[in-house]
Amino acid sequence: MIIDFHAHPGYSENLNALRAEFRPALRAAKHHGVDWICLSSLADWKESPAPAQVRKGNDAVLALAADHPEEVIGFCYVNPRQTDEALAEIERCVVQRRMAGIKLWQACAANDARVEAIAKRAAELKVPILQHAWYKTGGNGANESTPANVAALAAKHPETIIVMAHLTGAGERGLADVAPYPNVSVDISGGEPEAGMVELAVRRLGARRVLFGTDSPIRSYGATVGKVMGARLTVRQRNLILGENARRLLAGRLGA
Amino acid sequence: MSVDAAAYVGAWPFRPIEGTVADLAGVMRANRVRQAVVSPLDGFFYADPSPANRRLLRRLAGRRRIWGAPIISLRMADWRAQLQALAEKRQVRAVRLAPAFHGYKVAKAQEAAELAAKHGLTVVVQMRVEDERHHPPFVKLPGVALGDVVALAAAAPRARVVASAARLGEVLGDAEHIRQLKNLWLDVSHLDGLECVKQARDAVGARRLVFATCWPFFYARSAVLKVDEAELSARDKAGIMMGNAEAAFGLG
Ligand SMILES: [Zn+2]
Repeated sequence: MIIDFHAHPGYSENLNALRAEFRPALRAAKHHGVDWICLSSLADWKESPAPAQVRKGNDAVLALAADHPEEVIGFCYVNPRQTDEALAEIERCVVQRRMAGIKLWQACAANDARVEAIAKRAAELKVPILQHAWYKTGGNGANESTPANVAALAAKHPETIIVMAHLTGAGERGLADVAPYPNVSVDISGGEPEAGMVELAVRRLGARRVLFGTDSPIRSYGATVGKVMGARLTVRQRNLILGENARRLLAGRLGA
Repeated sequence: MSVDAAAYVGAWPFRPIEGTVADLAGVMRANRVRQAVVSPLDGFFYADPSPANRRLLRRLAGRRRIWGAPIISLRMADWRAQLQALAEKRQVRAVRLAPAFHGYKVAKAQEAAELAAKHGLTVVVQMRVEDERHHPPFVKLPGVALGDVVALAAAAPRARVVASAARLGEVLGDAEHIRQLKNLWLDVSHLDGLECVKQARDAVGARRLVFATCWPFFYARSAVLKVDEAELSARDKAGIMMGNAEAAFGLG
């Protein structure tokens, strides 16, 4: 089983345009034998979208999941700066509509106090948080998480399942930051297919804490599948990374 | 079967990456790559890449399907003599220029492109290797503009020019100019994004693209699967995987 833990529907605002944008992603995923795509909206792709934009983005993901119930599972994107609206959106999407995870991007760094209520709710609901993080040489965005920020969140909320996005963006330092916190895994999405990174993640975290994800449409399925198939791994490690870890974290929310 | 237009041997100084010729041969076999055009990674970091080139050619000796693309710095006063000496080596099919690493403008490479053409060598212009966001803090190196490489190919129409490591957005941005040049090829090593190879093919035409892995810096498998996923016609795919590189590097 292959599960893409990290994908976005596309760049369009309008649902029908998004449906058209998403079609080639489904085709590419199928080409590589990907069984499930965990899809999260990034609303209007702005750092801190308004609540209406957040809801509209999640509605699009719900629609795509309804279009493709055997292939797509939704993650609920929220903006922690609007804490009450974020919690209400989690109620709507995760509790009522069975979305399987919570996506956090660049509205707040992971160690921001406003993320705490979301982390607590995720733990209660037993759904993972997919948190963007990166170490950028030129400096991160004002509210863009570093892996150290993710480690701080993980330390405070050991019951919350956190998947830190972007292995190559985290690099050696990011892996060292999160290694002590068993509630943090890393996805291999985003960045270029830099050789050795997947093996390094397995050495640092163990194969049970590394997940396949693409960041489609920003990155291609082929390049990302190639990171796993090109890495020196045992069959067991490869299967964990490609899908078994994700299935464990999604705890029964796959399919009907 | 394919030709890898951009692979390397040697060491990358900022991460434990080391490519040996034996490992390269294994990666080629595993990915059905029949021929490769190979440069020395160390050469990017030497003011005079010659020692790295000599090491490369020693290591490649006796390898029938692995061609050398030694690196030349145009800031070395004797670059013309270096180029001429390399042209006499049977195994050398191209020279790789790294204007960002060695510190000169791509426009300065016109004479080198023409001289290379006179000697039957292809000129590869390295646009980048590592993602600019991951450069070590003491070496922040902006990439080379694809437009400058396009201008070089236009200014030296007899030269064969390969732009190495362009990103998809750059290719789409310069597509109109690229389409018009029959002496310019783009390697696919750094193309990424959903349907990247298909998008690049639609923008510049299948004949302008050459398969390349950027191994050992990248997983070679990523390049193979990226092209594979595009579900191109047999003719387009054969061109991108092999035929175009044979034309670009004059391989039989
Ligand atoms: Zn993403």
